[in-house]
Amino acid sequence: MPFVADYLFAAGIAILAGLDRTAAMQFMVSRPIVAAPVTGFVLGDPWSGLQVGILIELMWLGRLPVGAAIPPDDTQIAVAGTALAIIMGSWTGFSGLPMILLCLLVSMPLGKAGQGFDRLARKANGWLLERADAALLGGRLASVERFHLLGVVLFAAASLATYLVIMSAGTVAVWQLAPFLMPLLTEASPWIQLAFPLVGAAMIIGTINVSRSVVLFSASFVAVFLLLWHQ
Amino acid sequence: MKLSSGKLPPWILMRVLLRSFLLQASWNFERMQSLGVLYVLAPALRVFYRDEDLVLACQRHLTYFNTHPFLASPILGTTLALEEKRSRNEAAGSIDVDEFKAMIMAPYAAMGDAFFWGGIRPLAACVALYIALQGALWAPVVFLVLFNVPHLAFRIGGLVGGYTQGVRLTQVIQRFRLPDLAIRCKEGTVIFLGGLCASLVFKCLQGEKVWSGWGFTAIPVVVLLGWLGRKGVSNLILILIFSGILLLLAR
Repeated sequence: MPFVADYLFAAGIAILAGLDRTAAMQFMVSRPIVAAPVTGFVLGDPWSGLQVGILIELMWLGRLPVGAAIPPDDTQIAVAGTALAIIMGSWTGFSGLPMILLCLLVSMPLGKAGQGFDRLARKANGWLLERADAALLGGRLASVERFHLLGVVLFAAASLATYLVIMSAGTVAVWQLAPFLMPLLTEASPWIQLAFPLVGAAMIIGTINVSRSVVLFSASFVAVFLLLWHQ
Repeated sequence: MKLSSGKLPPWILMRVLLRSFLLQASWNFERMQSLGVLYVLAPALRVFYRDEDLVLACQRHLTYFNTHPFLASPILGTTLALEEKRSRNEAAGSIDVDEFKAMIMAPYAAMGDAFFWGGIRPLAACVALYIALQGALWAPVVFLVLFNVPHLAFRIGGLVGGYTQGVRLTQVIQRFRLPDLAIRCKEGTVIFLGGLCASLVFKCLQGEKVWSGWGFTAIPVVVLLGWLGRKGVSNLILILIFSGILLLLAR
């Protein structure tokens, strides 16, 4: 049952990295550039993980977790996308960049569920706050602290739920789509691989609060491109 | 009932520091980080107060609170200093702890969001991506180091500094000019992104044996996509449309 172990190991990473997003630490191990290679390393293919991290990192980097805003769950997309690519690669016999792209294209829409689960966890935390208020009126400070820590469990459950949605629906979708899409993806993969960071970069350029951002971007692009071209 | 007459023991301050990493564990829409603030401060409040005074102090901190999680540390450190004064009845003439928290949390939230989320994080990610594109597996380590050095400096230094210096720490933090630093980081990010995109486009064209001059068309494409993003078009939609078109062309 090696695949079951892989699913479980990736679930563990999904929970730990998911907690890092909001509830605990925030060392940014939840960023795709970290979470995906770590998942790949644990599942025995760090290069696939690094590839996923490169593709996904810029996509939602410009979406800031400010106030009550909940950005899309790129952590679970990175973890589950990597796990899917490695596990389904072994199952279906397709591997490499086209399989990684297929898994990401499947995982990304499914990752929208993460925002819903995160919102549910935060709503449930409101109930914990009510309980904490009551406990404090009764002079039970230790209970108040326990209610706070229960929030970690709720956020962990939200991360796990998102991971399970992506992995379960993703496994079926990749299984069904791979035979039809892999030849096309093999053909188009260099261009789709380029589209990911370009779209991500465009979103950052479009939303970053810097005057002359287009000028700075263009100047840097032209300078580096000319340098590479005339080498 | 007043209890403490000395400084907080270092191990209590250490417990407060460790707990600050769980500040947002019970983040909720009603009062956001309020329960987290009480959880972080609880070990110290237990030293400062007993019985009804302890309950009253806890209730003071169970009110609405929301700021950037890393810049919460200097606020909470200063809060400890103010609570300590209050517990010793030395607070006369100094700012009230509730007033201080209410006054400072919004500006610190704005500064922290701009500096950490909008400045340092994208810049560190771009540097790490550049390294990752060379095939280096240690790129994530670079990202973590670049991000966490200022992060931990603010978390640890902010809490200890806030407790030892009290409200004077706000002047120290002001001297860092975080909003200006954030702008510099953002400009660095945009420049890095330009170089990163140029490398990717050039590599792709070379690999596909397409004339390199076509690479310059990537600039208007990125600008157009950025404009669409600003108008609210989701990047998920954009990448799905892009991929769909490319798959159709590959048929």
